[in-house]
Amino acid sequence: MPDKDSCATNPRTGDVIVEAQGLTKVFANGVKALDDFSLTVCQGEVVVVIGPSGSGKSTFLRCLNGLEEIDAGRIVIDGVELNHSKKNRRAIRTEVGMVFQSFNLFPHMTVLGNINLAQELVRGKTRGDATDTTMALLDKVGMAERADSYPAQLSGGQQQRVAIARALAMHPKVMLFDEATSALDPEVIGEVLGVMADLAREGMTMIVVTHEMGFAREAGDRVVFMEHGAMVEQGPVEPFFDAPAHERTQTFLQQIV
Amino acid sequence: MRQSRVRIRPLDLILIALCIAAGVWFLFLLKERLHYEWNWGAIPRYLFRHDDERGWVPNLLVQGLLTTIRLSLWSIVLATFIGTAMGLARTSKLLFLRLLGQAYVIAIRNVPPLVLIFIFYFFFSEQIMTLLDVDGFIRSRSETTTSVLSWLCAPPATFTHFVSAVLTIAIYEGAYITEIVRSGVESVERGQWEAAWSLGLTPWQRMRAVILPQAMRRIIPPMAGQLISTIKDSAIVSVISVQELTFQAMELTAVTSQTGRASLIFEIWITATAMYLLLTLTCSLIARQLEVRLNRHRA
Repeated sequence: MPDKDSCATNPRTGDVIVEAQGLTKVFANGVKALDDFSLTVCQGEVVVVIGPSGSGKSTFLRCLNGLEEIDAGRIVIDGVELNHSKKNRRAIRTEVGMVFQSFNLFPHMTVLGNINLAQELVRGKTRGDATDTTMALLDKVGMAERADSYPAQLSGGQQQRVAIARALAMHPKVMLFDEATSALDPEVIGEVLGVMADLAREGMTMIVVTHEMGFAREAGDRVVFMEHGAMVEQGPVEPFFDAPAHERTQTFLQQIV
Repeated sequence: MRQSRVRIRPLDLILIALCIAAGVWFLFLLKERLHYEWNWGAIPRYLFRHDDERGWVPNLLVQGLLTTIRLSLWSIVLATFIGTAMGLARTSKLLFLRLLGQAYVIAIRNVPPLVLIFIFYFFFSEQIMTLLDVDGFIRSRSETTTSVLSWLCAPPATFTHFVSAVLTIAIYEGAYITEIVRSGVESVERGQWEAAWSLGLTPWQRMRAVILPQAMRRIIPPMAGQLISTIKDSAIVSVISVQELTFQAMELTAVTSQTGRASLIFEIWITATAMYLLLTLTCSLIARQLEVRLNRHRA
């Protein structure tokens, strides 16, 4: 398990940026979604979280930016603890970008409006500055021509690329991807994974919940396998996929690959 | 909105024929049994009358119509305000605000509007307005102020009546608008709230920029219906002598029956009906246009 030292000694990564310790989350219906789950992520690292459905992967991501409250444990992101302080919570959700399975673009705004909104309201940029950033990001995700389109006029893959640009516009320190390609038609999954792989190459810190093992192998630094809200096994990509230590992991990988 | 072709079937023809027959039978009964003499010629003079000094001025029925318009406008403005505030309170994170909104809706929706009117009239108009000396305040204003107030609301003599009528209607209709706003806000998908949250928007920014604009599209149609109801429901304040259309029609009915002339009851009430229809149908038309406009961006 990486800690301060291993983050610093790894040439690929910087300091510790996400620290989650002993996270426990029990839903109102009694389901224990997270059970004493801990994970440390270094700056610039791409961590791929896999596991059967209902294993708590999404809940973990949602806890990281405060969409769900944890019942026990501690979350520190870039030195700021996610506690009951309103200021800290707002700081964290501003610094953590999230990409959802269902895109969640704002349907009443154009692509440009979607990406400008938080830059203007949260970062206090002028319309012109925000638009400059937006156009650069749209160019990067290959959507510059669709700046004036409404979300309903775009395909799923295009919407998700816009959603990624929208999260990036806040210059987040960490990007969370919650099954970003699960709702997409097979033929457009590639264009979204391509954007994500580019981001990984540029050194963005990413925590990616996905079923795309190809992406994990290509772009991931480390794989975490979860089950019943707890960590079963984790390790660098190559050894993880080639020789998983845990029997449960072996079975899962056989089923999914 | 696409027009579907209307096809007339035999059953439709039979029904139309029956409707016409019922109308004719009604007119026949009026004429033969009640010996009702139609006298439409008497109506125009109750719409406008000729004043020696001021020329043509509105008479009872048009005065009533104008009062109904003023009453409805102010009630609609106030009811929209109350309903939006209470609707947002009902979707609040804070238990106190939710309970406040809920108590308001339950209280108002389970009391007959007529009872509300009397409560407001006797309590508010008679007690509080007197206590605050609103009457004296209005009367002591300059002539310009009172004439503007007369034009916008009501002349000084009936000002307190008018205000308590507006308040009652607004509080009554506001309860229904509360529910419309609440359901509209709650109908916006959870993902929208979460996306706004994860971008760092404050709760207020999220409501204003993300949730309300989407809720509006779903709120407009039922809201338009409720606002049209407000116009209709304003008739009820005739019981506290606010001289709106229904009150004036009742007055006129009474006066024309007393003087021994042939009663004008059907002419008066048909005219009043037409006037209400004029208001409500105009509003429906505007609402329809607004709906079309709001839906334009949807693919």
